[in-house]
Amino acid sequence: MTIGLRLFLSSMTFAIAIAIAYWFIAHEIAGTFLLGFMAFALSVIAGYMIVAEREADVWGDQGSANQSDAAGQIVGTYSIRSPLPIWAALAISLILLGLIVSPTMAVLGLLAVLAVSALFIVQSR
Amino acid sequence: MTAVARTAPVAATRNDLLSWITTTDHKRIGILYICTSLCYFAIAGALALAIRTQLAVPGNHLLTPHVYNELFTLHGTAMIFLFVAPFALGLANFLIPLQIGAPDMAFPRLNATSYWMFLFGGIIVFSGVATNEGAAAAGWTAYAPLSEIAVSTGLGQDLWIVGVLMVSVASILTSINFVTTVFIYRAPGMTMWRIPIFTWEMVATSLLIFMAFPPLASDLLLLFVDRRLGGHAFDPAFGGNPILYQHLFWFFGHPEVYVMILPYFGVISEIIPVFARKPIFGYTGLVLAAFAIAGLSMGVWAHHMFTTGAVNNPFFSAVSFLIAVPTGVKFFNWIATMWRGSISFKTPMLFSMGFLMNFLLGGVTGVMLASPPVDYQAHDSYFVVAHMHYVLGGGSLFAIFAGLYFWWPKMFGVMLDERLGTWSFWFLFIGFNVAFFPMHILGVEGMPRRVFTYPDTGSLPELNFIATCGAYIMLIGAILFGINVLVSALRGKPAGDDPWGANSLEWATTSPPPEYNFTSLPPIRSERPVWDMHHPEGARASR
Repeated sequence: MTIGLRLFLSSMTFAIAIAIAYWFIAHEIAGTFLLGFMAFALSVIAGYMIVAEREADVWGDQGSANQSDAAGQIVGTYSIRSPLPIWAALAISLILLGLIVSPTMAVLGLLAVLAVSALFIVQSR
Repeated sequence: MTAVARTAPVAATRNDLLSWITTTDHKRIGILYICTSLCYFAIAGALALAIRTQLAVPGNHLLTPHVYNELFTLHGTAMIFLFVAPFALGLANFLIPLQIGAPDMAFPRLNATSYWMFLFGGIIVFSGVATNEGAAAAGWTAYAPLSEIAVSTGLGQDLWIVGVLMVSVASILTSINFVTTVFIYRAPGMTMWRIPIFTWEMVATSLLIFMAFPPLASDLLLLFVDRRLGGHAFDPAFGGNPILYQHLFWFFGHPEVYVMILPYFGVISEIIPVFARKPIFGYTGLVLAAFAIAGLSMGVWAHHMFTTGAVNNPFFSAVSFLIAVPTGVKFFNWIATMWRGSISFKTPMLFSMGFLMNFLLGGVTGVMLASPPVDYQAHDSYFVVAHMHYVLGGGSLFAIFAGLYFWWPKMFGVMLDERLGTWSFWFLFIGFNVAFFPMHILGVEGMPRRVFTYPDTGSLPELNFIATCGAYIMLIGAILFGINVLVSALRGKPAGDDPWGANSLEWATTSPPPEYNFTSLPPIRSERPVWDMHHPEGARASR
C-alpha cells in the first residue's frame, strides 16, 4: 500500500470518527453532514486509488532507483504553450458575469466553454 | 512506469508577451501567480493604509461609513483570497516539480486555466468598485443576511460572489494538480519520505483545499440563488437559516487559515536548516504534525460561532486547543534545528525569525480565543483583529518575504541585495509590531472591529494613532523591497545554481531552471539530495 493511499485511508477514518463523535456530542445536523460528506469524498478518492494502484508502478517509490533506470519510459509530451487555458477562463468568466448582467452573455459563455473543451480534446490527441 | 516523461524537443526559450500568456510551464505559471498576488497585495495594502489613516484620530471623516465598509471588505478579500493563499499556490507551482525532480505538473493546461481563473476572479471582485452602488461592503465573510439583496442591494456583492467562486474553483483544480503531481511524478529514488517538507506541507494544504473549498462554493451559490433567483436559503421568514451560512462559511474558513499558514510552515522548514547549517530536526514529526494540524483544522470551524449560542462550545473549544499540540511540535523542531547550529542571519533567515516571533504571539492569542469565556469578551473586537493579523501578517507575510528572498535567485538567476533586504526586514518587523500589538489593548478596552470611527475616550486615540504610525513604517519596508527588486533587475549579482548551499533538488539545476527543469538528476538517497551531492563523505556517514 502506498503512502498516498494510506494518507487518504487514514484521513477518511479520522473524518468518520470525528463525524460520529460530533453527532453524539453536539447533535447538530449541518456539521455532521459536512463531516460525513468529507469522509465520503475521501473514501471515493481512496477507493479510486485502490483500483488505480493495481496497475501503478511509480519510479519515485523505488528508493534505490536512479534516473537512468527510468530511461526510455515515455508517458507523453508536455506542451509548454497553449492558448486554450486563457480562453477557457475567459469563457467561464463570461458565463458567471452573464448570470449577473445578461443571460445572452451567459449563453455565449457556455458556447465558448463547449468550443474550448472540444479544442482541449482535439489538442490532447 | 509513470515517474518520468520524455519531452518533445523545443525551440529556445521565448520571452515575449504571447509566450507568457500561452505558457503552460509550471515555473512561469508560478511566477505569474506570485506577481499577480503581489499586485493584489499592493492594492490590499493601500486599502489598509486608507483604513488606518481614517482611524488615526477619533471622529475623522476622511472616509464615509459606506466607503469604509467597502474598503475593509476589499482589503480582507484581497489579502485572504487573492494574496496569502494564491502566493503559496504560486510558490508551490514553481517549486513542487523542481523539488520532486519532475519536468512539469501532471496537468499543465489545467494549471494554466487555474491561474487565469484566479486572475479574472480577482478582477471581477474589484470591478464592483465601478458599479453604481460601489463594491461589496458586507465584509470578507459576507455573512447573510448582511450580504442578502435586502441589505446589500448593489451589483458589487454579486460580483464579489462570482469572483470569489472563480478563485475557489481555481484553487480546487490546483490542489488536485499538486496531489497528482506529487503522488505520480516523483523522480526515481524520490520516495514520499524523501520529498522536501515544503512539498509535504503543500500536499496537506491541497487536501485541505479539496475538503474545505467545496462548502464555500456551495455557500456562495446558495447566496447567489437567494440574491438573484429569489431563493430563501438563509431567510428565516421562509424557513431558511442564517446560521447555515456561517456553518458552511467557517467549514471553509477555518481550514482556510491553515491553507494560508501550512505552506509557510514549509517555507520556514526549508530555510532554517539551510541557514543553521544542520539537517532539519524531526523530519517525520514535522510531516505528521502538518497532517495532524490539517485534520484537526477540519473540526474547529464553529469556534468562530461561539457567541451565536447555536453550537456546541466545549467540543469546538477542545479541538481548537488540541491544534496547539502539533503546532508546538513544529516550533520545537525549528528551534531544535537551530540549536547549536552555525546560524547565518541572511535576509531569508531574518524573516524566518520574524515569522517565529510573530506567529508565536498570534498562536498564543489563538489559544486564548479558543476558550469560550475569553471569546465571549473579545469576539468582534480589535483583539481578534490583532490575533488574525499576527497569524496571517506576522506569520504568513514574513514567511512570504523569507521565501521571496530565498528562492528569488532560483527564479530569476540574480540575488536580491542583502543590505536593502535587512533594512526592509527591520522596517517591516518594527512597523508590524507597532501597528498590531496595540490592537490587543484596543480590543481589551472594548473597541469593536469594522467601525469607521470611535469616541475620544480612554487610550483609544493614542493607541489608534500608534497603530497608524506602524502601518506607515511597514509601508517603508515594502517600498524598500520594491527598490530591491528594481536594483536586482538592473544590476543584480548572478546567483549561480546554489547560492545558499541548500539541500533540496531545485538547487541541482540552473538558475533560472530550463524548460522541463533538469538535464540530469543526482542520485536521490535522502531528503537532502543536493547536500549529499556536494558532500558525498557526509552523505555516506549519515546513512
